[in-house]
Amino acid sequence: MKTLKRIFSQLHTFVLWALVSAMFWSWIFTFVTDTSPEKKVTVYCKVPEVRATELAAALEESMPEGLRMIQVHSFDYVMFGVDAFYQGDVFIVPASELETYAELLAPVEDGWEMKVYDAAAGEGVATAYISYADEDYYLFLGAGSVHLEDGKALAVARALLEMD
Amino acid sequence: MKTEITELYGDADLTRLQQKIRRQSTVHILLAAAALAACLWMIARTGTANAARMEVAVILVSTVAGWVVLYGQLLVVAPCRRELRHARMLRGEERQAVTGAVTVTGEQVTIRRSITARRVEVRGEKENHRLLVCATRAASLEALRTATLYTVHGYVAAYEVPR
Repeated sequence: MKTLKRIFSQLHTFVLWALVSAMFWSWIFTFVTDTSPEKKVTVYCKVPEVRATELAAALEESMPEGLRMIQVHSFDYVMFGVDAFYQGDVFIVPASELETYAELLAPVEDGWEMKVYDAAAGEGVATAYISYADEDYYLFLGAGSVHLEDGKALAVARALLEMD
Repeated sequence: MKTEITELYGDADLTRLQQKIRRQSTVHILLAAAALAACLWMIARTGTANAARMEVAVILVSTVAGWVVLYGQLLVVAPCRRELRHARMLRGEERQAVTGAVTVTGEQVTIRRSITARRVEVRGEKENHRLLVCATRAASLEALRTATLYTVHGYVAAYEVPR
């Protein structure tokens, strides 16, 4: 009882430590789990649901050399930074919104559409990780990607296209 | 009449307190270092797939280890340091002698934020005195009837019993 009383007398210190600890390590983890655009490929998916962590980990299994990580985000992630969004490397966008995001998108190859989900057939790529809505989806490289020249964005896009 | 002065805090007590502070602090430093090493090890093993789990684990390890160290420092080491300072004051500063019938009362007060002290009343021939003695040392005064107490700033530092 006396020990509990003594602990409660210092409760503010214990609570403060927990807050400092959580904030400090969360800050450290922002560096651990992110890197510069040159060392990562970022995939943005405009889909109802994406298991981002699992998809990124699966894509990292065939990660091109020179990259540190692959990130996958839903379009909701834009609220954390528009600049990063405009530098996105790979985009999966529904047919109905191609016009909306046209300035972000570069075709995988000129004049070539890469359909990743066919609503009529109900078939698509990476369906274990991505839940598509009932419409066609297309994959594009990012027009602002720093990995267009070195082919790393394309390599990740190809790895994505090979997923069941 | 031959008399003998008994110190409430002897050299052995000061040494014991110093050793306890050193031992506890060493344990806390080792624990903090081990927790930091564990956190760095987990960070080194962090990948995309396990990042969220590792972040939670690192925060948990850091927080719990910090709590243990804080508990030790605030509730064990700090009271020892205060007791040591108090004991050094009793040993080192100028004393006043108070003679009379000694009674250790049940009244307790906290001094220096963590040391429990008990009230001691001394009924002298000319005047009465209200003093304090550390609760852990009070037992040695309880057996006294008439004695001379040596005090520093109202705290009993030593006593002398006529033999």
